[in-house]
Amino acid sequence: MRTSFFNGLLIALLLITPYISAQELPPLTHGLTGLESPYEAPQLKFRDLDDELIDIRKMRGELVIVNFWATWCPPCRREMGSLERLHQATQGQGVNVLAVNVGEAEDIIFSFLGTVEPSPTFPILLDLNAESVDPWKVKGLPTTFIVGPKGRVIYRAVGGREFDHPELIEQIRALPRH
Amino acid sequence: MTFLLAGLLPVNSWAASQVHRVDPQTNIETWSISQHGVTFSLTQILPDQARAFYVNRGFTLDQIEPFAQACVYMTVLRNDDAPDVIRYTLEDWAIVSGQATRQPISIDEWMNRLRASGAGKSAMIAFRWAQFPPEQEYEPGGDWNQGMLTTGLPPGSKFDVVARWQLQGKTYENVLTGVRCAN
Repeated sequence: MRTSFFNGLLIALLLITPYISAQELPPLTHGLTGLESPYEAPQLKFRDLDDELIDIRKMRGELVIVNFWATWCPPCRREMGSLERLHQATQGQGVNVLAVNVGEAEDIIFSFLGTVEPSPTFPILLDLNAESVDPWKVKGLPTTFIVGPKGRVIYRAVGGREFDHPELIEQIRALPRH
Repeated sequence: MTFLLAGLLPVNSWAASQVHRVDPQTNIETWSISQHGVTFSLTQILPDQARAFYVNRGFTLDQIEPFAQACVYMTVLRNDDAPDVIRYTLEDWAIVSGQATRQPISIDEWMNRLRASGAGKSAMIAFRWAQFPPEQEYEPGGDWNQGMLTTGLPPGSKFDVVARWQLQGKTYENVLTGVRCAN
């Protein structure tokens, strides 16, 4: 029975694809919601995959796009490549992209990032104990925030987005830096 | 009941029809409905899929078996173009099977059971965040979530599910009928 089950498990590993199949999933949009009452961004300070300590407070004066995600989260996987394209399109324009991984080990993250095209070059922060989700009021993954130059959360997107959509890129470029 | 609140809104904008799809390769079934500017869908997650997903994230087979057998769905709720932000709590949702009505099994209940089974921290984090959020708010224009939801009904059970949310002080709902638990 155990053998039979593990055969089933292998099949299930193949069948897991429908769970992440785009066929059953809604298309990604490119809308960001401006918050009526911007609020002070909570602390965000973790080591990234390069073992560098990243602190959002050191990014005052610039925009910071903060994306909370995990490798097992289908919409997170779908949007990750577009986040890198947004990063490339806004590089050197006072826009920082940070992706906070919730609760996973480095080897799992590396393995996934190797499959993303283009592979992310922005910092991937390691929140191993999921400490940041409650202070940031994250209720589901992915959730993305835009923090303004004064350190206040000014936009939010719940669920996957097409971050490389031209309108979204222009919307971010048009945000004030000071 | 589906059209209970339709009179409040222009009918043509909110025409609802339930869609049922069966994946030709896997026979996995999906039920979806778009009404009041909100899309709600359920896709079966087979017990073997649930086992594989969570064993890969650190649970033992014994730990995750009750969850895998609890009639699991990949659930999507999305604010496509409702007139304003929508807010829901799963405590307001209903699963109607025969004469009985129940709520989805809560994340807290699963977390308590799994914690008692000795599950590891990273496995528990993955479990918590792969579930459909117990409460959430979605702005129009595409805010949405996808996550797992359990009914607790036996394999093969048929039921209706009522997803309710608040918008501008009123309660709205989308109802999926004839949903079936995977075997």
